[in-house]
Amino acid sequence: MAQMELAGNTYEVDENGFMQETDRWNEDVARAYAALEDVNELTEEHWTAINYLRNYYLGNGICPMIRRLIKESGFKLSKLYELFPNGPAQSACKWAGVPKPTGCV
Amino acid sequence: MKKLKLTDIARGEDTQLIEINPNELIPLPPPYDRVEALPGFKQLTEEQRGRLVCNLDGVVSYAALPKTKNKEEEKKYVEQFVSGMKKLLSKENNWTFLQPLLLSIDYCAQCQTCCDACPIYLASGRNDLYRPTYRSEIFRRLVNKYVRPVGKLRAKLSGGDIELNWTTITRLYELSYRCNLCRRCAQSCPMGVDNALITRELRKLFSQELGWAPKELHEKGTVLQLEVGSPTGLRPDVAIDNLQFLDEEFTEATGTKVSTPWDKEGADILLIHSAGDIISFPEGPISFSIICNAAGINWTLSSEIPGYDGVNYGVFYDDVQLARVAIRHAQIAKKLGVKKIVMGECGHQHKAFMTVADRVLTGDLDIPRESVMTFLENLVFSGKIKFDPSKNNFPVTLHDPCNVVRNLGIVEPQRRILRYLCPQFREMTPHGVDNYCCGGGGGLSVMSDVNFTDWKVHVAGRMKFKQVLEAFADRPGSEVKKYICAPCLNCKLQFRDLLDYYGAREKSGIICGGLAELIVNAMVDVKKPFIQWEEL
Repeated sequence: MAQMELAGNTYEVDENGFMQETDRWNEDVARAYAALEDVNELTEEHWTAINYLRNYYLGNGICPMIRRLIKESGFKLSKLYELFPNGPAQSACKWAGVPKPTGCV
Repeated sequence: MKKLKLTDIARGEDTQLIEINPNELIPLPPPYDRVEALPGFKQLTEEQRGRLVCNLDGVVSYAALPKTKNKEEEKKYVEQFVSGMKKLLSKENNWTFLQPLLLSIDYCAQCQTCCDACPIYLASGRNDLYRPTYRSEIFRRLVNKYVRPVGKLRAKLSGGDIELNWTTITRLYELSYRCNLCRRCAQSCPMGVDNALITRELRKLFSQELGWAPKELHEKGTVLQLEVGSPTGLRPDVAIDNLQFLDEEFTEATGTKVSTPWDKEGADILLIHSAGDIISFPEGPISFSIICNAAGINWTLSSEIPGYDGVNYGVFYDDVQLARVAIRHAQIAKKLGVKKIVMGECGHQHKAFMTVADRVLTGDLDIPRESVMTFLENLVFSGKIKFDPSKNNFPVTLHDPCNVVRNLGIVEPQRRILRYLCPQFREMTPHGVDNYCCGGGGGLSVMSDVNFTDWKVHVAGRMKFKQVLEAFADRPGSEVKKYICAPCLNCKLQFRDLLDYYGAREKSGIICGGLAELIVNAMVDVKKPFIQWEEL
């Protein structure tokens, strides 16, 4: 298993850098991931999307459909790409500390 | 390019057998012909090279492959591999493919005709490692040496002796996931040898005997599907909730009332989608709801585990998992008392459920199973739905999912629909049973460990991407919106990766979707355009 240091702690991650221990996530982890993608400050809008994703995942065991994320966060896809350079699946989910979506998605 | 000998597979321990050089791959048409203008091929880091098994081609599809140098362990793996080969060749242990496997092992005339049929080999610029016969001939020699009478002596005398060691085993594992199982090679073989079957049986040996299988196919694939309902992790309550959300969304977006029935006992038809469509391509399942309701079909979806996800990754790597999933699907249909199961837009679901699982779906589990292609054809030409084909007046090409078209011979129904509803429909060359795989076949489209996606977009999907560009060559500009109709979820996922990687939506105006969406887009009663060209 690969490991990664984020905000001073070591975490188990998959080969694409997604956290495997989602309950060890905290806001500093999100900030550390963001910094790796050259986003040095997380705004209110970032937190809205991150918290929505995280809460949806914890309640449903899966990341939300993009349509749902757009409707319920109020951000268009282009806006999500502005906030998260590699998009909702590759950046936002990663920063929110949830596993990478797999299985025909 | 370096010439490879068959015996090289066993030599060199941790050293990489070949390098992939993007400049040696077959060229793509402009504007995709300049290698330096593309995002590049993700290379392994030094840290990954130290930690992972990467002794094949610099690509890793399975990070969990054990790294061992211990002689004891190596002996254990060799014994397991030999035991696995014996089982593949015995009636008691190979209920699925014993006869075609034996024929494929015994009847290869070494003519190499199949090589020119293989899209991976051609795309690679004819790299020896990816010859369909490279993998098969090594496996054949290992079978002959380790399983057949006086094999070891014969191998020594023949001069082409291949040693079964840790290096051979780990390289063969990775190499068994450098094939789409598209069976274009088998179709071209004058003897009927099926190299794709040999590859698939090799994967089965690894899974059932050594416990090695891609995590996306096994742990997060069939295991998750049988436990939670879907490899996507979609639970039954979340599936229902998502479709209710989509029914409302699309009722609003189309101005047409959309509703999706669940768990309706005694319905005529149980439709089994792939759950990934609900999450990633929701226009697909919603189109089926609109079409079925418009045609007055008595139909239902099932929310029982795993009745709302028709994928069956077992067909790619493991007979036990294959049978478990297929039997559950049939039991669910039986319990609902439906007359027929319709398999959604998913190629390998067709292969698993219509052909391979025939052996286990006997007696009262033998419920009629129909392909989505003939099902949709009947609805489109039933006269119950009014169409205006001018609503689809944009270039459309059709991708043939290997498992539906080459494997089952279902070629024309989807074409009759497109010729009727899409004025600018054009074929790719070649097409039908001679098609090229999208590059995601054989389970590869859901695999994305380490740098495997890079291999899929550069090598496996290259012939297909080239074909698509050529089919649209008369209207190359991005201002002309173009549609690849790919009636299979795994193919759509691979196209999504290809279009993203090459930036083809932006550069060429190409999008990819299913067949049902084109039908709905042409419906007179659906007032607003259904297909959305811009991202949300």
